[in-house]
Amino acid sequence: MEALTGHLDELGHGLLTTVHLTVVTTIGALLLGVVVATLRVCPVPLLRGVGMVYVEVLQNLPLLALLVLFVFALPTIGITFPLFTSAAIVIAAYEGAYLAEAIRAGINTVGVGQAEAARAIGLTFSQSLRYVILPQGLRAVIQPMGNIYIALLMNTSLAAAVGVVELTQAANNVNLVEAQPIAVFTGAGLAYMLLALLIGRVTATLERRWAIVR
Amino acid sequence: MSIRFTNVTRRRALTIAATAVTVALAAAGCGDGGSAPALPGQADGQKVAQSVFDAAPVASDADIPAGSTMDMIRKRGYLNVGGSLDAPLLSQQNPVSGDIEGFDADMAKLLAKYIIGKPEVKTVTIGTQTREAMLQAKSVDAVFQTYTITPQRATQVAFAGPYLTSGLAVAVRKDETGIKGVKDLAGKTVIVGANTPAVTALPSAAPGSKQVAFATDPQAVQALLQKRGDAYVQDFTLLASNAKTNPGMKVVGDPFTTEAYGIGLTREDTQFKEFVNNWLRKIQADGTWSKVWQSTLGSVVEGGTPTPPAIGSVEGS
Amino acid sequence: MNPNQQILFDAPGPRAQRRIRIATVLGALVLLGGLAWAIHRFASYGELAAERWQPFTTWPIWRYLLNALWSTLLAAAATAVLSAALGLLLALGRLSARRPLRWLAGAYVEVFRTVPVLLLVYVTLFALPKYGLNFPLFWKLVVPLVVSNSAAFAEIFRAGIKALDRGQTEAGLAIGLRRGQVMRLVVLPQALLRLTPSLVSQLVGLLKDTSLGFVVGYTELLYSGQVLASYTHLLIQTFLVVALIYLVVNASLSKLARVLQARNGRLTRGRSTAPGPATPPLTQGGTAR
Repeated sequence: MEALTGHLDELGHGLLTTVHLTVVTTIGALLLGVVVATLRVCPVPLLRGVGMVYVEVLQNLPLLALLVLFVFALPTIGITFPLFTSAAIVIAAYEGAYLAEAIRAGINTVGVGQAEAARAIGLTFSQSLRYVILPQGLRAVIQPMGNIYIALLMNTSLAAAVGVVELTQAANNVNLVEAQPIAVFTGAGLAYMLLALLIGRVTATLERRWAIVR
Repeated sequence: MSIRFTNVTRRRALTIAATAVTVALAAAGCGDGGSAPALPGQADGQKVAQSVFDAAPVASDADIPAGSTMDMIRKRGYLNVGGSLDAPLLSQQNPVSGDIEGFDADMAKLLAKYIIGKPEVKTVTIGTQTREAMLQAKSVDAVFQTYTITPQRATQVAFAGPYLTSGLAVAVRKDETGIKGVKDLAGKTVIVGANTPAVTALPSAAPGSKQVAFATDPQAVQALLQKRGDAYVQDFTLLASNAKTNPGMKVVGDPFTTEAYGIGLTREDTQFKEFVNNWLRKIQADGTWSKVWQSTLGSVVEGGTPTPPAIGSVEGS
Repeated sequence: MNPNQQILFDAPGPRAQRRIRIATVLGALVLLGGLAWAIHRFASYGELAAERWQPFTTWPIWRYLLNALWSTLLAAAATAVLSAALGLLLALGRLSARRPLRWLAGAYVEVFRTVPVLLLVYVTLFALPKYGLNFPLFWKLVVPLVVSNSAAFAEIFRAGIKALDRGQTEAGLAIGLRRGQVMRLVVLPQALLRLTPSLVSQLVGLLKDTSLGFVVGYTELLYSGQVLASYTHLLIQTFLVVALIYLVVNASLSKLARVLQARNGRLTRGRSTAPGPATPPLTQGGTAR
């Protein structure tokens, strides 16, 4: 236990980084998810194709491979992001692909009549999406989105592979000195569990307040 | 089967293929400025000659009392070793042959030969997070992974040896003039390997330096060349090997720490530790240690073969 | 496109079609321009140089990678079958009429959905051997993956079963079937058909979860890629090749599932309401050495 209490500073810093990364990627993934879901249902076939390719490629590649390629391959094209930003962009893009699929499923559950009514009163494509379809669609898939966010939290630990010192890496660093893997990693695991439970709690509350009862 | 469906599937497949090619080309449209990579099978140390293994000592029956760990290993027929597969010169798997080559790997084979009579080794990949726990759970018999001997670790595991001493050194980009040694790193951004001794050594050797850790050595080298840091601190044999295959970087200064690497063993097994230490003394005396060093690490490090470290000379061993 | 989505915009008239055509041309130009620029940078850095790709034209390297891929597929298949079966049982348990069963299954699912998989792997590696449960290497990876993924599968199955029209269950009960028979003969076949997309994405995620193999020392594809990168000193090329292999395998899996679903989907009514969309894999990865 001293292994943990003696390094609270370092571990706390790692935890903060994890939370920071999670929050940033949550917002980014949500924005990307909505955009890509919109792309997949829009009138221009090319954009629909772009959306589909985005989802297919990102869902079928391991996140670690994406991180390594993004961090090490891009700088030579001339685009160099700081490491934290790189990790945030890649994880947001990756989770955004899953969110896009979830949102698209949500859009599908909205009754046909809603879209018909929106068109009937003269709303354009983007207007009907923004005012009618998406608000209902998003509310239908709060639970799956919560699952995706929990997975996002777990995936932030991969940022360690490209130099971001988040909780898992901080735990590794502590273990390097203390050589007490069970204590250190159980502690880190519990922290992740608590965060995941928090996300689950928030999701459940949101669902209760906003979900549409059919 | 509707025709529309088939067309959609084919279009999808084509789009995916096209994207894959695009991604491949786009992402490969990058490089680190013309450094020539090592081709497989080259430059990473020659393999130790089979004759060295054939001449290696084997324990007599008197050395292996019945019921001891050594006896159990001999009966099992192979040695369970915790190590790596991706540490060039030390323990690197050759994808073509499947063998594991390098100093650590060869030492493990020699120990196996000593106990069993044949260099039969089963390598289990372990990480720095799992080393102590694997030894405590007895999932591996020994750890050969440039395992630095420290007093804190000595409370969890036992160390035989040290069997190799090395040190951390500094590497910079070829055109870097401002950094001549570790003292110049104060306040700079330094690339380190995640979970290596550099993480703990740097704060005192270069106060105020900012560390950026990468999981594997190839990534760290790439990061250095792409200016994500001013210098790369790593074990100096590894740096020497990298500098040899990568003209874009160079090693500056001498090693600034001394790392004593020991063989990780289960803590309570003092008999096995005695046994392994005796074996180490034997191969140091009859020149096997030097031969193995020459073939692996010696291929990149200048200067003659160093004298093997004295057993038990480091606190914790 | 889904009829739902097609209603969102009218069939384009002549002006809209012109606009769409312009947007398409511009978009295509941008994409192709980007590609050409990338290839140009490419040529100027020599990354396409023959010597950098030479290792990947030799059979031994591919044999190494394909062996690793086989190990990955084996572990993934075992995990998939076991966790799907266990997940189904858990879902049925959660929907059961008996309270203790519901509670037990519910507790299992809630706990193992939030525990990081890496932690489970560590427990299997270190804590269990202390109690005598020292599994062979393959199972050291598969068991924690099964425990974690079964919770995910349980949720997917439960969502699918609940999404089914209540009328189906009521009809089944009305014609005199017992609860168990209703589940087996009426509810499950329909629910499972609808769930195929979610199941497949869980499968794909599972395949990527096997990259945790390196923690236990099981040489699967991603770790083998790192070993190869270390051996050849070709970081980018190796990762590109490994990424391509993953892309091909996973995309084929998804396509296969879509083909199967389309073939079976003709038997059910049109609405493709997939209740549980894909969840990304709970891979923790971790740093390799």
